[in-house]
Amino acid sequence: MSVPDYMQCAEDHQTALVVVQPMGIVPEDQFFRIYKRIASVSQVSIRDSQRVLFIRYRHHYPPENNEWGDFQTHRKVVGLISVTSCTTTKEWPQTSDRFQGQKEVFGSTLYDSRLLVFGLQGEVAEQQRTDVAFYPSYDDCPDVEKRVEDFVESIFIVLESKRLDRATDKSGDKIQLLCAPFEKKDFVGLDTDSRHYKKRCQGRMRKHVGDLCLQAGMLQDALVHYHMAVELLRSVNDFLWLGAALEGLCSASVIFHYPGGTAWKSGARKPGVSSAADAGKRHRPGALTTNGISADTSTEIGRAKNCLSQEDIIEKYKEAISYYGKYKSAGVIELEACIKAVRVLAIQKRAREASECLQNVVYINLGQLSEEEKIQRYSVLSELYELIGFHRKSAFFKRVAAMQCVAPTIPEPGWKACYKLLLETLPGYSLSLDPKDFSKGTHRGWAAVQLRLLHELVYASRRMGNPGLSVRHLSFLLKKEVTQSLENYTSKCPGGMEVISLPDGLKLPPVSFTKLPIVRSVSLLNLPVSLRPHKVKGLLGQGMSSASPFIYSPITMHSRGDERSKKIDFQWVQGDVCEVQLMVYNPMPFELRVENMGLLTSGVDFESLPAALSLPAESGLYPVTLVGVPRTAGNITINGYHTSVFGVSSDCLLEGLVGVKSSGCMVEVVPSLPRLQLCTSLPRSAHLSSEDLSTSVSLRLFNGEMQQLTITLENIGTETLNTLELTSKNLSTKEKLFGEFLTWDLQDALSHLPLKSGQSVSIPVNISAKLDFSGQENLLHDLNDDGISVTGLPVSSPLRQVLKPRAENKPVGSDASKNEFNHVKMLEAVLTFKYSGGAGQVEGYSRELSLGVRVDVEPSVFFTRVSTLPATSTRQCHLLLDVFNSTEHELTLSAKNNQDLVLHASECQRYTHTHTQTPPSLKAISQSQRTSLLLRNELFVEGVLNQLILEHLQLAPLQWDVVVNGKPCDCDVIADCRVGDAVPLEVKLTNRSKSAVGPFSLTVVPFQDYQNGVQNYDLQDAVSFIGSNTFYISTVKPTENSVCVGALLFLYTGDFYLNIKFQDDSTARDLPPAWFCLPSVHVKAQEPVEL
Amino acid sequence: MFHYTVHTSLDVVEEKISGVGKALADQRELYLGLLYPTEDYKVYGYVTNSKVKFVIVVDSSNTSLRDNEIRSMFRKLHNSFTDVMCNPFYNPGDPIQSKAFDSIVSTMMVQAC
Repeated sequence: MSVPDYMQCAEDHQTALVVVQPMGIVPEDQFFRIYKRIASVSQVSIRDSQRVLFIRYRHHYPPENNEWGDFQTHRKVVGLISVTSCTTTKEWPQTSDRFQGQKEVFGSTLYDSRLLVFGLQGEVAEQQRTDVAFYPSYDDCPDVEKRVEDFVESIFIVLESKRLDRATDKSGDKIQLLCAPFEKKDFVGLDTDSRHYKKRCQGRMRKHVGDLCLQAGMLQDALVHYHMAVELLRSVNDFLWLGAALEGLCSASVIFHYPGGTAWKSGARKPGVSSAADAGKRHRPGALTTNGISADTSTEIGRAKNCLSQEDIIEKYKEAISYYGKYKSAGVIELEACIKAVRVLAIQKRAREASECLQNVVYINLGQLSEEEKIQRYSVLSELYELIGFHRKSAFFKRVAAMQCVAPTIPEPGWKACYKLLLETLPGYSLSLDPKDFSKGTHRGWAAVQLRLLHELVYASRRMGNPGLSVRHLSFLLKKEVTQSLENYTSKCPGGMEVISLPDGLKLPPVSFTKLPIVRSVSLLNLPVSLRPHKVKGLLGQGMSSASPFIYSPITMHSRGDERSKKIDFQWVQGDVCEVQLMVYNPMPFELRVENMGLLTSGVDFESLPAALSLPAESGLYPVTLVGVPRTAGNITINGYHTSVFGVSSDCLLEGLVGVKSSGCMVEVVPSLPRLQLCTSLPRSAHLSSEDLSTSVSLRLFNGEMQQLTITLENIGTETLNTLELTSKNLSTKEKLFGEFLTWDLQDALSHLPLKSGQSVSIPVNISAKLDFSGQENLLHDLNDDGISVTGLPVSSPLRQVLKPRAENKPVGSDASKNEFNHVKMLEAVLTFKYSGGAGQVEGYSRELSLGVRVDVEPSVFFTRVSTLPATSTRQCHLLLDVFNSTEHELTLSAKNNQDLVLHASECQRYTHTHTQTPPSLKAISQSQRTSLLLRNELFVEGVLNQLILEHLQLAPLQWDVVVNGKPCDCDVIADCRVGDAVPLEVKLTNRSKSAVGPFSLTVVPFQDYQNGVQNYDLQDAVSFIGSNTFYISTVKPTENSVCVGALLFLYTGDFYLNIKFQDDSTARDLPPAWFCLPSVHVKAQEPVEL
Repeated sequence: MFHYTVHTSLDVVEEKISGVGKALADQRELYLGLLYPTEDYKVYGYVTNSKVKFVIVVDSSNTSLRDNEIRSMFRKLHNSFTDVMCNPFYNPGDPIQSKAFDSIVSTMMVQAC
């Protein structure tokens, strides 16, 4: 016996084997239909005995297996049903003969046989034979089942009679020795009379009777017989049969313990659970009644004793297997016993022992097996492993089976079968072909093995002649790992996005390359500043109403869940190119070419402009900008992107991707707006620091210079431009700016509106830079220094009182001052053009175009120092201006009084200007105190005198007039008088300030100056006052004046000075001391004229 | 081919773990012993409490390695693996690139040969 039956299970021991065979030419499908109907009669209750006979049908049974029938009776073919076609009566005799011939094949063991003839309808002249049934056709045979049942019953009768015959045979002297086929020659010439031999015969017969009992449905008897057989055979060391007896014992016990059966799936038997349970119930009473033993408790105990416990079953099985193992020829028996044991273990959930058992199966050498048998063997192993829950092992054997299908020794490799088997292994390797399963969660399974398996799948599918499948698997493989051969296939068969359905119903879902490249973040980009739409009105109200009643709330809305659907707070414009930026990287160790990468959108018509990119191997994050043009207005949602990698197009939806950061995918598209392009007469420059500008220009101007900038606006969009506004904004600058920086006239341009597509308009803009370059603090400081150095004497000067002690000796060199003042100042402004038109204008949107203007202002001519010199009168002073020409050109400086001054490059000259104005007009003059300078290149530059200096140049609001001898006295005026004459002195105070001043007291102190630093105040005997030398001035109201009159009498000739000191009574008020600077009076007393 | 050997051995590992009663899971012996013998190799298993599985495949002909040696090998392996896991720069799931781990494994291999 060389053909193992891998479907064997313990229950098969109680079945009777019936072979159903086609005879002659029977269409296969018709035969199997009949076979199925026959096989449905798998258990038959015998009418009068309550027992059940189980039938195992086979449509193919090797005769050499039949030879083992004596060893285990369930291997014996006891019935034969032949199915044949016979269309004419003439053929009948021939058919009949062939049936005889077929019977002879199993002749020795057959109990009964039947012939089912299809095509004839009893027209045969011969008398009705019980073993032949005629049917008109394969469809018209209603009583096939009935006939089979009759047939089974007749088998039962024979079986029963044989059983009784053998069971009662024990009294006979000569018991036939039953042999396994290979044993026959071993017993030739053996002493048949020895006790040993007899015992052996007895034991074997006992075992045989046990088999028959089991088949006949007498479980209890069978157990008893088996037990006896085991004892007998053990004593004679007949191991093969001992094993068989033990196995029989196990089988009977298994049948008792597990009436549901141990076969895991439909084999020949299909006992439903309930019917099997019924059958189990029926066994026992049947067994009892035939034994004629009353059903008392003792028999129950006895039965329990006879029947093996669950653990014992395994023990006995192991023992039996070990006995079988002693015989090389009994390999198939051993194998089948192993399989049966495994099934029992599986039911008992003892997977580990089962696996050991199966491990043993692997090592059972059955000699030369055909390839088909090998495949079958591995498949069965795989199924058994599956049964005990060893999915991996199962997958392993399935894979081995698959490989066996295409083993190089097979002339025609069954790639299809291989592929199918390989597919079946996938669950065992925790591999799912659905990328959805793959992408979720962490990696499962053994990567290396999975990879190999996928490779095998790819190879198999290719050899199968289905490149489409191959591509799909390769895509999947690529998704997991790396391979490049895909490209070769896709050239033949482009990988698409449709589901591939295999003929056997398995669907291969499309594989999207979501990992090639990996997308890390998706962000929608706002339009460039110049193209952004601005809502003209109503924007505020709209935005506020939806969000929250609070203007500001620190609690942000929890919208993490629908982050993807979040609307972004900027708009795109219909008809304009919009951008989405993806951060991608290539995880592969080779350069990845991604072609036809575009966006998948919904909501509005979107024309996606595909991009192609090439990512270097294992690139870092790499920004990719995908662009497209929305064709209609509305809300657009970015759903994902599509790519074409290695010729496989994939649609990758964002929601299916893990680890993609997105700030929202929905954006509003507003109706189309016109577009303006701006160009200027000046070259473009780098953008200004902070602001978002579309263009910017920069230029250099000398301070005071003016230049014209022509801005040309061209409508490059498709919509008509209807409105245009221009505003400017000076960027924050610390510099004080005089006059308008930018001036323009828009009237001319506006007259050209509406501006059609392609038309352009020019706007002239004047740029003028007027800045103050005088170093303010330094300027004043220097001035004061000069105040000391120049005047020398504390003579009356409007500025004298602000003198400060000279701090240090400043270098007056022009180089130092040049460095100090040579820095360039910067002016920045933004010109904003606001325009709108087309459909977008109706919706209230407009666009802004901004032009940054940056002017670097170079100093041209400025005052490095300003100083004053006291003029001869208190009403006048000299203004000294150090004018510095920092340019590299020669300049001519022309002042109001047409005093021209030529300044060479980087030259500093002193320009003197005499202040002659009287106090009332000084301020007005100082404001207009601008020195016009004429540059040689005919440009006017205006230097502006610092306001601070002008303040110092203002005269005090209190004006003191001293009149001596009827003559006003000022600094340089010398009043003449005669000795002995009374000299009238009048001090007049005119208040020009806004508030009343006073009261003051004035004291006139005469002194003599010896011009050597000594001043003599001791002049009581030289000068005498007529009246008081102290005057009191009460309050002087604004614009009024007060006069104090006194007289002096000089007693000697000489030069006298009068120092008018004043004292302020009101301590509360602090008036600037400069307000009280009274002139010194110089009086020259002469000899009286001798009359 | 070792991949298949190791992969299929996981069945036995699973079976052995599930075989132990749940109540005893805490005191479970980490060393699982011989998983299954094949013609050429013996496969031993070891499962940490966090269900990390170690498998050692030994040549069947190598008789110098007794159960105790295998057990100590596993223990060493486990300690080294724990060190790897303690590395804050190591992300669980990444291939182990630790030199220390590598050297321990290779010394074991040398010792076994």
